[in-house]
Amino acid sequence: MSSSSSSPSSSPALALEVEGVEISFGPVVALADLSLTVAREERVAVIGASGAGKSTLFAAVTRTVPLAGGRLSVHGEDITTLGPRAVRAARRRIGIVYQAYNLVPQLSVGLNVALGEIAGRSNRSALSALLRGPGAETSERVHSALRQVGLEDRVGDRAGDLSGGQQQRVAVARLLVQRPDLILADEPVAALDPVTATHVLRALAEAAEEGATLIVNLHDVSLARRFPRIVALRAGAVVFDGSPEELDDEVLRRVYASDGVIEEPESRFARDLVPAPLHDRESYGLRAR
Amino acid sequence: MASGHAETQRVTGALPGPRTPVGGLIALVAIGLVGFSLYGVDFDLVALLSGAGPIERFVSEMFPPDVSAGTLRATGRGLVETFQMSLLGALLGALVALPLAAAGTADAATIGASRRTRLAGAVPYHAARLVLNVFRSIPDILWALVFVVALGLGPFPGMLALAVHSAGVLGKLFSETLETVPERPVSALRGIGATRLQRLLFGRLPQAAGACGSLTLYQWECNIRSATILGFVGAGGIGQEILVAMNLFDYPKVATLVGATVLAVLAVDRLSAALRQRFAA
Repeated sequence: MSSSSSSPSSSPALALEVEGVEISFGPVVALADLSLTVAREERVAVIGASGAGKSTLFAAVTRTVPLAGGRLSVHGEDITTLGPRAVRAARRRIGIVYQAYNLVPQLSVGLNVALGEIAGRSNRSALSALLRGPGAETSERVHSALRQVGLEDRVGDRAGDLSGGQQQRVAVARLLVQRPDLILADEPVAALDPVTATHVLRALAEAAEEGATLIVNLHDVSLARRFPRIVALRAGAVVFDGSPEELDDEVLRRVYASDGVIEEPESRFARDLVPAPLHDRESYGLRAR
Repeated sequence: MASGHAETQRVTGALPGPRTPVGGLIALVAIGLVGFSLYGVDFDLVALLSGAGPIERFVSEMFPPDVSAGTLRATGRGLVETFQMSLLGALLGALVALPLAAAGTADAATIGASRRTRLAGAVPYHAARLVLNVFRSIPDILWALVFVVALGLGPFPGMLALAVHSAGVLGKLFSETLETVPERPVSALRGIGATRLQRLLFGRLPQAAGACGSLTLYQWECNIRSATILGFVGAGGIGQEILVAMNLFDYPKVATLVGATVLAVLAVDRLSAALRQRFAA
């Protein structure tokens, strides 16, 4: 299952290939010699304490932070050497969902979702989409994406007027319209209640169903255990890479030791409050593969 | 320390204590500057008090204000012209300001870009900033003088003067508004491949639109006040009527014109405030 030990040469069969990547923000080292490979269509959960480098890893994959060292290939393409045009093309194949949703609150739900497609257009075509709407074909895709996340009736509402969980589903709908090959979700459910979190995770898994790779940063270890592969980061490096069965208390202690957490940081609400199906590891189709 | 509690440091207020060296220095410099300025402007309280007599005479000559049909007509004409100049000045200014502000808005997209790309991005940025600075730093009355010389007397050069100055002020404020919108939605668009223009159109502009509308209304308010002055250099508006009446020593007419101006400015202030509140909502 795990492909963490595959060959170092770039291969198009790999969605992501990170080799000795280093990133610093001033004196703070965010990623220290991090290496990781993810095969296409794999589902990976990334865990780690705050500041372990989870979000920085995602920023590095979309090249929104400069690398201090190492090599990073996405779909077999070394993104550190790409020109602006090629970077844009590479980003078009990566869909991202954030903890804070990051929709444009003043725009309608429909236009926010349509941006998944509009962001790939020429400037002129994008301007016309802003003024006259994105066109019939995109509108149809927007409607079907919103239908899939259960928000079809909110297409004309201001995105900022929606609840947090609804905004996150709009973000997932944007992803469905974008049709990326690699989906990165950065703490997508950290701000959501358990039931809404279930909806969002299920929607994410569905979005990845048509052959996309899914990598999710999670605070909640119990949620991470539903993924077939778990990668744990600590101080900017991989300290665990394996199946949920291998992730025992000893490993967790090591992962979270730096900020003094001794017990398994499985959140209380996930254990006590979540309806039974959420504890079923086979749900969402995450482990079906 | 005198009380023997060397370890416990006193909690101070927001102002620097006068006993700290920095506080003392600031106080000295401030006093020095005030004295220097008082000397420079020949500040004379006696002259001000003894001037009260002529001022009183001037004011009493204004009463009763002239409310003849001719004066009221001139007042109305002047006010309408002032209104037209200020409105067009603000609108035209905002239209010119927006593209300049967009070009003069810093964007965090230069990460990993080559030196040449970064340089190519810096040229329009600094060019736009320079144009806006020139527009803004020259007062509208000087712009009015320039346009009156070029185009002759009347409200048109006045409106142009207001437009250029408004463009400078609004351009700076717009670009600051565009730069300070919440960054996350914008970088989310960048993450999915949106170009710089697309990030501006879909990320920054929608988030800044309300504030920019409100700023334009405020600029219109300022323009109404400025437009009354521009008439003094022959650039139209009610100021021109005031200047003529002053030169003819027709103080009752001046009273009517000035009173009407005060009322108009107050009315526009209220209207603009109400509209801006709606923008903010």
